Amino acid sequence: MATHMAEPAADAAAEYLTAEDRIWLLRAMLLMRGLEERAMSLYRQGRVPGSFYDGYGQEAVSAGAAFAMGPEDRLCILHRDLAAHLIRGVTPSRILSQYMGRAAGITHGRDGNVHFGDRNLGCVGMVSMLPDMMLVATGMAMAFKLRGERRCAMTWFGDGSTSRGDFHEAMNWAGVQKLPVIFVLENNQYAYSTPVDKQYAVDPVERAAAYGFVGVTVDGNDVEAMFEAARAARERALSGDGPTLIEAVTMRMHGHAAHDDMKYVPKEQVEEWRKRDPIERQEALLRSLGVDIDELRASVKAQIDAAAEEALAGPMPDPATAVDGVFCEGEAEPLGDGQAPWSGFH
Amino acid sequence: MSSSPTDVLVDVTMPQMGVSVAEGTVVAWRVEPGDRIEAEATICDISTDKIDTEVPSPATGVVTEILVPIGETVDVGTVMARIAVGGDGGSPPQPLDGGTAGAPTTETKSSSSAPVAAARNGDRRYSPVVQRIAAEHGIDLGQVPGTGRGGRVRKQDVLAFVETDEPPLHIESPYRPEPVAPPPAPVADGGELSRMRRQIGEHMKRSLDTTATCTTWIEVDMSRVEAARGRLGVTALAFVARACIDAIREHPAVNAWLEGETYTRHTDVNLGIAVSLGEDGLIVPVVPRAHELSVEGLAARIRDIARRARARQLTPDDVHGGTFTITNPGQYGSIMATPIINLPQVAILDFEAVIKRAVVVTDADGNDSIAIRPMTILGLSWDHRALDGAVAAQFLATVKRQLESVA
Amino acid sequence: MPTLTYLQAISSALRDELRADERVLLMGEDIGVFGGAFKVTDGFVEEFGTDRVMDTPLAESGIIGTAVGAAVVGMRPVCEMQFSDFISCGFDQLVNVAGKMHYRQGLAVPITVRLPSGGGFSGGPFHSQNPEAWFMHSPGIKVVAPSTAEDAKGLLHAAIHDPNPVCYMEHKHLYRRVKGEVPSGVFETPFKARVAQPGSDLVVIAYGAMVPVALEAVSDGLDGASVEVLDLRSLVPLDEEAILDSVERCSKVVILDEANATCAAGAQVAALIAEKGFESLDGPVVRVATPDVPIPFSPPLEAAVLPGVDRVREACRELLAY
Repeated sequence: MATHMAEPAADAAAEYLTAEDRIWLLRAMLLMRGLEERAMSLYRQGRVPGSFYDGYGQEAVSAGAAFAMGPEDRLCILHRDLAAHLIRGVTPSRILSQYMGRAAGITHGRDGNVHFGDRNLGCVGMVSMLPDMMLVATGMAMAFKLRGERRCAMTWFGDGSTSRGDFHEAMNWAGVQKLPVIFVLENNQYAYSTPVDKQYAVDPVERAAAYGFVGVTVDGNDVEAMFEAARAARERALSGDGPTLIEAVTMRMHGHAAHDDMKYVPKEQVEEWRKRDPIERQEALLRSLGVDIDELRASVKAQIDAAAEEALAGPMPDPATAVDGVFCEGEAEPLGDGQAPWSGFH
Repeated sequence: MSSSPTDVLVDVTMPQMGVSVAEGTVVAWRVEPGDRIEAEATICDISTDKIDTEVPSPATGVVTEILVPIGETVDVGTVMARIAVGGDGGSPPQPLDGGTAGAPTTETKSSSSAPVAAARNGDRRYSPVVQRIAAEHGIDLGQVPGTGRGGRVRKQDVLAFVETDEPPLHIESPYRPEPVAPPPAPVADGGELSRMRRQIGEHMKRSLDTTATCTTWIEVDMSRVEAARGRLGVTALAFVARACIDAIREHPAVNAWLEGETYTRHTDVNLGIAVSLGEDGLIVPVVPRAHELSVEGLAARIRDIARRARARQLTPDDVHGGTFTITNPGQYGSIMATPIINLPQVAILDFEAVIKRAVVVTDADGNDSIAIRPMTILGLSWDHRALDGAVAAQFLATVKRQLESVA
Repeated sequence: MPTLTYLQAISSALRDELRADERVLLMGEDIGVFGGAFKVTDGFVEEFGTDRVMDTPLAESGIIGTAVGAAVVGMRPVCEMQFSDFISCGFDQLVNVAGKMHYRQGLAVPITVRLPSGGGFSGGPFHSQNPEAWFMHSPGIKVVAPSTAEDAKGLLHAAIHDPNPVCYMEHKHLYRRVKGEVPSGVFETPFKARVAQPGSDLVVIAYGAMVPVALEAVSDGLDGASVEVLDLRSLVPLDEEAILDSVERCSKVVILDEANATCAAGAQVAALIAEKGFESLDGPVVRVATPDVPIPFSPPLEAAVLPGVDRVREACRELLAY
């Protein structure tokens, strides 16, 4: 069904990833999973208002792809892509504050859970209407091309959102104008309770050709394959060869949200995917290279514990500020640059 | 309470209780003049050959007069009483065809919302801005004629009233059936006099104790003033003020101060105008150097100080330095008074109501006839320690001459 | 000072902005090579090139969404919806992405959306709308509506300079019918109302194409009455001070909307007056608006629904007499 297949991860990775990079990738995934587990616990304690979404089991999709983005690149990150925020430099305690609706959260309580994007780190906060952000990323890429800048934009979106008009408009626009944008389709098999065979008749990766550009299917649970696909897509974009659609095949291992027990997912499917857990796979790879995984895990846990303590100590936002900030009163500042830990940028 | 100029008066007539009945006798009145009555409520009881019965009121309003006393027999159709509708929230009788006077129009095609007539039942309601302006100027809205829909008082009407601040020059001659007496005021609480009331009282008492007050009167034909008043849009008081100023030039003795033994004549005329502050009392702000002002100028200054007086915005300078005072309480219909001199001045002029009277006029050939003229009686209270009656009379004669020769 | 039509004033503003600020980018359907459906951008491609006067795909959501993206990386996109009616296709991007971004993320979205609005030329239900009320109701979006050539230029400059999303309601009926002296160069008209004609007995509050209608309706003096006409010019922010000042002085109000009556801009003005101008009122607050119907195509039907001079005059007369 796929148009292209990515190169096997090991070969490509060796060329571009140092040992530090590979540890970084695991660390990002461990941090994402650990933070989300802690947040879920806080949610069950009633300290996280509203609903809670996580990307359990698909950490590689955001960790790998975001790792390939440079400081000047811009990201539209979705709700199961927490690792992308962490790689750009958002601190764990601010993320937990954000979930809890505290003043220290990235949106200062204005929006909830993963609806955030630190504008100082080049991230645009998502909206609930999916995949609206595909157009925003397309627009950012359009500006880069118009100005002749060697930068690209990346956006994530799910299998369900490919059914909406904005998917088509963004793909079409990006293809017509040959824009430096990377579309990461997180195919995690379900949109809430809707399986993909109720969502589309043709795998969306096929559609890239229809819009005039490259589509690749990647094992979404192989973090280094994700990195490689994104790196290649970025190179394509920067050389003026236009967009790439990366279909990251993965599985949503938890419900749509904390309030969903996903009974509609066959147990066999879940079991099948558990064996392909992205963190376990990267851990196995790194153990074989002599990395002390336990120490890494302990360090991540300590980081999360400290973050939780800091976040829980922070105040709720002042109600008097609830109507502030609807309009920008000063100068419009563009997005700032983010961190880019990949060795390829240093 | 008196009916306002825009009230509709509804007759209560002796009914015909049967085809052959020609007259009826009033047995009992359920109301007195000044009472409010609702339509359909019983207003009196009558007795006829055929039947004794109650008479229901034809309208909601205030009873203005009872014309047929108890025990009197009158023909069918005789007006027995009158009800004033409109001034105090009464309603005119519904037309027999059940008309829809004042119903709001809504166009179905275009969706403009037409103004809903608040006067649907003839209720006299006042809009927020009208009430606010009236309160600011101390105006009784019942006095204000309305030119809006259904006779409602518009903002322009109350503003115009503020400008002129005077009812029509003419009041009906008192020689007509008695107007109704106002209902007895509710008994006020006892208590101390207000500070202002005490001050006024002390001032008045001192004046009467100090001066040798006499009052002289003169009649004045105001027809020329009335004509000029309409033309210039200026109150009669302004004309009287100007006439006094002119007369002071010829008789400067009345424009003076007497303090103890010291008598000072003033060349400037600083004209005091008495302004009523309603229940709170009165105050006499001064128009300084009034002799420099024309009639229009006097009218404007008088308007201004009256407004500021009622709004309690006068400064101490505004009430000092007066050399001559005019008091003008004429809108209630009184014709003469004995005003008290405003110390340390030596004279005060009182200008009461202008009443249409039958007067004798002599034509150029010496023929006498009766004419109807708007007449007023000007009264001058003067201090016999400083002036004599002759001076007072001459002063008044000059004022009369000025007013009767207004161009 | 040159005399320009309303349309020429818009072109002049766009041209001056493109010249003065390299960040400015025009985006719309048929605006480049064709010069725009109404010729607003006629000749622009020759001067500024196809990159800056961009012919976009037929995708309203795409136009608004990509404009947001371009804006947050430092550009100043000026989008055109070919007809304001088509904004419904881009509603989601404008209201949910652009409008809410600064409140949620502290990220400013300096886009301008030009919306050729209004009827009166047999455009029918999909080419004649006045959709400003939808966006007055959406937090984070400013809305302006010029009625004169000078304001058409000044408000557009101000809108483009504003760091927030601004809906610019340009009224098609005024394009060539309204002329006036327009200062040259870049200048800003403040987002405030202006007294188009001073008066004291009644004020007609209007914006856009209803302003000339109001001025014509009261031009014969209405039996000697002194009627004020207040041109709102800005709907978000709404100039409360000017509205309440006119009401205090005039005490009688007629509000005009060419938009459908229910929840139009005039409804908000009426609510404001009822709440904060109550003490100044000498009569009910009257509205004249198009009824809640799609704008019909055939001339007599269209004329029957759009507020014309006669309807306005009648409403004023009736209220003056109240």
